Amino acid sequence: MDGVHDLGGRQGFGPIVDKDDERPFHSKWEMRAFGITLAARGASSWTIDWFRYCRELTGPVDYLTRPYFDQWITTLAAQMIDQGYLTLDEIRSGAPTFAPKPGRPPQTADVARASAKDPRSFAVSVNAPPRFAPGQLVRCRLDGGSGHTRLPGYARGRAGAIHAHHGGHALPDASARGEERGEHLYTVSFAASDLWPEAKGSADRVFVDLWESYLEKA
Amino acid sequence: MTSFDSKTISHIHHELHSLLPSEPALRTKALESLLAEKKLVDPAAVDAWVEMYRDEIGPKRGAAVVARAWVDPAFKARLLADGTQAIGEFGFAGHATGHLQAVENTADVHNLVVCTLCSCYPFSILGLSPSWYKSNEYRARAVRDPRGVLEEFGVRLDKGVQVRVWDSTSERRYLVVPERPKGVEDWDEAALAKLVTRNSMIGAERDLSAAQAKA
Repeated sequence: MDGVHDLGGRQGFGPIVDKDDERPFHSKWEMRAFGITLAARGASSWTIDWFRYCRELTGPVDYLTRPYFDQWITTLAAQMIDQGYLTLDEIRSGAPTFAPKPGRPPQTADVARASAKDPRSFAVSVNAPPRFAPGQLVRCRLDGGSGHTRLPGYARGRAGAIHAHHGGHALPDASARGEERGEHLYTVSFAASDLWPEAKGSADRVFVDLWESYLEKA
Repeated sequence: MTSFDSKTISHIHHELHSLLPSEPALRTKALESLLAEKKLVDPAAVDAWVEMYRDEIGPKRGAAVVARAWVDPAFKARLLADGTQAIGEFGFAGHATGHLQAVENTADVHNLVVCTLCSCYPFSILGLSPSWYKSNEYRARAVRDPRGVLEEFGVRLDKGVQVRVWDSTSERRYLVVPERPKGVEDWDEAALAKLVTRNSMIGAERDLSAAQAKA
């Protein structure tokens, strides 16, 4: 979707701050918001892509200004209200009014520890052969679609070369609609000079992981 | 049932904006109380995640992997070929590293990692990402003005060095393997690991020889 989350290449942003900050957390509430969001993500229809989409649907001003882990926990709350586990009235009153029946029991500490050690694979087998091969020139679709997608705006309509093919991976656009579908995933290498007018003459490159339906032959 | 409907979620966000306390600590507390009372979250699991990322999982892991790659060419080859498999040798594979790609800095190449669309990061090997990595400024600028961003981090690159920016748009995650600094040929792996900074493994630092004085 054409949201403010699609930040790559936007101009007018100032300097990077807090470059030497090594702290994982800066306050108690950050710790709790982080932990709650990870511990509660097991609920029935949760996927990483649906979570990302729900965060993208935060109002644009809040998206650009509210603190990071605040956005996580607010997005989690929005998902739980959508699922019917929590209501806006309960948020308003602060008092629970019913006992929800989640699709899965809440994550235990043991499950949390096991989950942190699980290098989950997003590989999905795809029957169709890959349409593109390393070295081949491709062009990104001009239309990003109105739902969730991982085709950044700055790459739309631009041509690049297939740098690598990674086999089938879960397609985020489908996953954010509640569908499980695999599609061939590629890393596409773009010349910076093909993306940005000020990069004329530069040999720098930008590499983007893109699914097959984002691409056409150049 | 999850709606998978953008209008529904937009509407809920709009309501939450005014219903939840604006102050993040109060907002978090209000939600934690409700979720715990409704048994939608187990406080012990919340504690476990916090403890892991506060005390155990952090950039020291990545530093150990990079130091091994510096002293053991066979390991480096395995790391570059299959990052997830290679960090598995340390027991470090896990959260968000199911598809880890290591990219190597050389005299002619400098790598920089960003996630322009959200904040993807290889958690199990670098821990929580720094706030600058998640900032709007970095996400907007790293793909378009990487040299300008790097200069702010004190990295000045010769024109002949190619910058490769990796935008983490899929579940594949990136680890930059910085160059081994000169003058530490006789250092052992543990001492070398102390030279490897978090920022260097994202690509926001290049020359690690300055760290020798501190090590």
